[in-house]
Amino acid sequence: MTSLAAAQVQEVRSITRIERIGAHSHIRGLGLDDALEPRAVSQGMVGQKMARKAAGVILQMIREGKIAGRAVLLAGQPGTGKTAIAMGLAQALGPDTPFTSMAGSEIYSLEMSKTEALTQAIRKSIGIRIKEESEIIEGEVVEVVVERAAGGGGARTGRLTLKTTDMETNYDMGTKMIDSLLKEKVQAGDVITIDKATGKINKLGRSFARARDYDATGQQARFVQCPEGELQKRKEVVHTVTLHEVDVINSRTHGFLALFSGDTGEIKSEIREQINSKVAEWREEGKAEMIPGVLFVDEAHMLDIECFSFLNRALESESAPVVIMATNRGITRIRGTNYKSPHGIPLDLLDRMIIVPTAPYSSQELKEILNIRCEEEDCQMSNDALTVLTRVATETSLRYAIQLITTASLVAKRRKATEVSMEDVKKVYSLFLDEHRSEQFLKEYQDEFMFNDGAGDGPQSMEVSQ
Amino acid sequence: MKRKACLIEAFETDKAVFEKEVLRKYKENNIMYKNTIWYKLLTSAEKTCLKEDKIRKIHYKFEDDKEMVEEYNVDTQVLLRRAWKAKGKLGSEGKWDVEIGDPIPDEVQNIEAVEIMESKDQPIVTRRNTRVNLEWRIRNLPYPIETYCIKANNEEKCVIISTTNKKYYKKLPIPELTRLGLNIEQANIQSSHKYNTLIVMYKKPQQLLDMEKEWYEELNKVKPVKDVPNDCKAQ
Repeated sequence: MTSLAAAQVQEVRSITRIERIGAHSHIRGLGLDDALEPRAVSQGMVGQKMARKAAGVILQMIREGKIAGRAVLLAGQPGTGKTAIAMGLAQALGPDTPFTSMAGSEIYSLEMSKTEALTQAIRKSIGIRIKEESEIIEGEVVEVVVERAAGGGGARTGRLTLKTTDMETNYDMGTKMIDSLLKEKVQAGDVITIDKATGKINKLGRSFARARDYDATGQQARFVQCPEGELQKRKEVVHTVTLHEVDVINSRTHGFLALFSGDTGEIKSEIREQINSKVAEWREEGKAEMIPGVLFVDEAHMLDIECFSFLNRALESESAPVVIMATNRGITRIRGTNYKSPHGIPLDLLDRMIIVPTAPYSSQELKEILNIRCEEEDCQMSNDALTVLTRVATETSLRYAIQLITTASLVAKRRKATEVSMEDVKKVYSLFLDEHRSEQFLKEYQDEFMFNDGAGDGPQSMEVSQ
Repeated sequence: MKRKACLIEAFETDKAVFEKEVLRKYKENNIMYKNTIWYKLLTSAEKTCLKEDKIRKIHYKFEDDKEMVEEYNVDTQVLLRRAWKAKGKLGSEGKWDVEIGDPIPDEVQNIEAVEIMESKDQPIVTRRNTRVNLEWRIRNLPYPIETYCIKANNEEKCVIISTTNKKYYKKLPIPELTRLGLNIEQANIQSSHKYNTLIVMYKKPQQLLDMEKEWYEELNKVKPVKDVPNDCKAQ
């Protein structure tokens, strides 16, 4: 069983490698050991030990699932790993815990009000694990036939023959089912189950009857009995849905189709109340289990005063998720008012939060991060190039240095080198300006730019205030 | 003022008649089907009736949000179709599930939409009841009659069809009997095989016949809806 699971995990990994590389795709967890102590370099995380330790405590709180409506603020300068910590937390929680990630500015939509957008985000972060009866086909594969339609068209038809000890049936398959059968490498002699509603295929093992057929079945082959009786059975299956999904299913007659089109519109508060009471009923009867998740609001200073007061209220509900916010602002104006407040968040909400600071990285940590990113972006870099890059990162910013990795590797490829050298990094450093040099440049040549009245209120006035 | 004498008053005068009447009532009440959950469910359901040519359609709405539709032939009083619709557990709209009668024809199943379904040439079970029999027709079964072994199984409350060549196996539940709490008798099962079709018949027990008759009478009390909502008059 475990070996089978491991094999599956590996396959999933190999598929995710095809995905594009994002800013935080190197992060696979918080990098904590079992005692929640941060390891120096682990799971893509480097440094920031205090913040990671704090995140570990929060992780524990979320896992226990007892505390509702706590808010956590990650505060720190740009590029100190706030989003990375949130992503790491999401990874550490695993796929079963709902984790909704949004940017503060996402709530400003013309289609729905700010509070509606926030409510939806909150309800997306609460999962319900519920048992439902579902039709399952379970049998031993006799034959899989996939045929391409004549004329070279893309249409494929598939036929699957399954049997139990008592019966045998042919099934027709659609293209998606054919693809997933091929992906799972299902062949004659395998015992499989197919969930009819979701089309999920599960390989149980190979039939005992086929035990002697092949010597080359591989080490992890597991032998199972051929099932008995009918091929189709009704079985109870547990699945997780979010409260928001239940809302949408109930809000319209044509139900969950809206989930796919994304056009969910505003949901009436009566429906939400109904669902809340229904869920409470299910929980009492033991039919459902609530999984409070995490709502992560990046750039939280972009929320305005109305949202903050709404959050104040929403956090008090016992079905509220844990809300994590991140901001890189210092003492600044609260959006929608003329008042100034730390992090741009009103004091009453700040008072409800636990604040986790992130500190700038040391140069050693920067080097480690750059190293990890090089691996992630599939780029060989010489040691001195990495040292130069680290210097760039300390003097300008970590983000700018990361931008230089792929660009430098492209330059290195042009001169047909396998490794990025110091010269390549220097070249891209001269080709692409960082923010500071760009500002310098503007200051020097300001007079020659368009719409510049000389006494401009841009950089100069900033100089005054500094 | 003249009023109809109530039952007790009327019988006070004649004890013999009273006792007889009580006994009769007692017997009537003792008829088992009236005490079943099923019968009570039917009585408590919200019923709407629709008459179309020779077919009487009854729509039931139960307290647990389930819906059922029955279609009776007016002449023979035979139930032609019974279908169920239950809402999904999370509140999604359910599909009609036909218990008796031919499957609803307009449900065109597209292989790309359902992803996996039994091939067209595979055995398919339909139910069609007659006045005295419960009937299953299993089409696309080419094997001769000796192949089949049809057994009543009261533990699983179904009739199990198996084949000696191990090509077909099916459990047929009999909801009519289960609802009345009746056992399945092997002696009541008959079968025949013709035109690639296996027909399994089960003789309706007396209790079921009684109940169906009584229930049909009961349904006559439901007044048919006059104007069919779908028939919009053109302006």
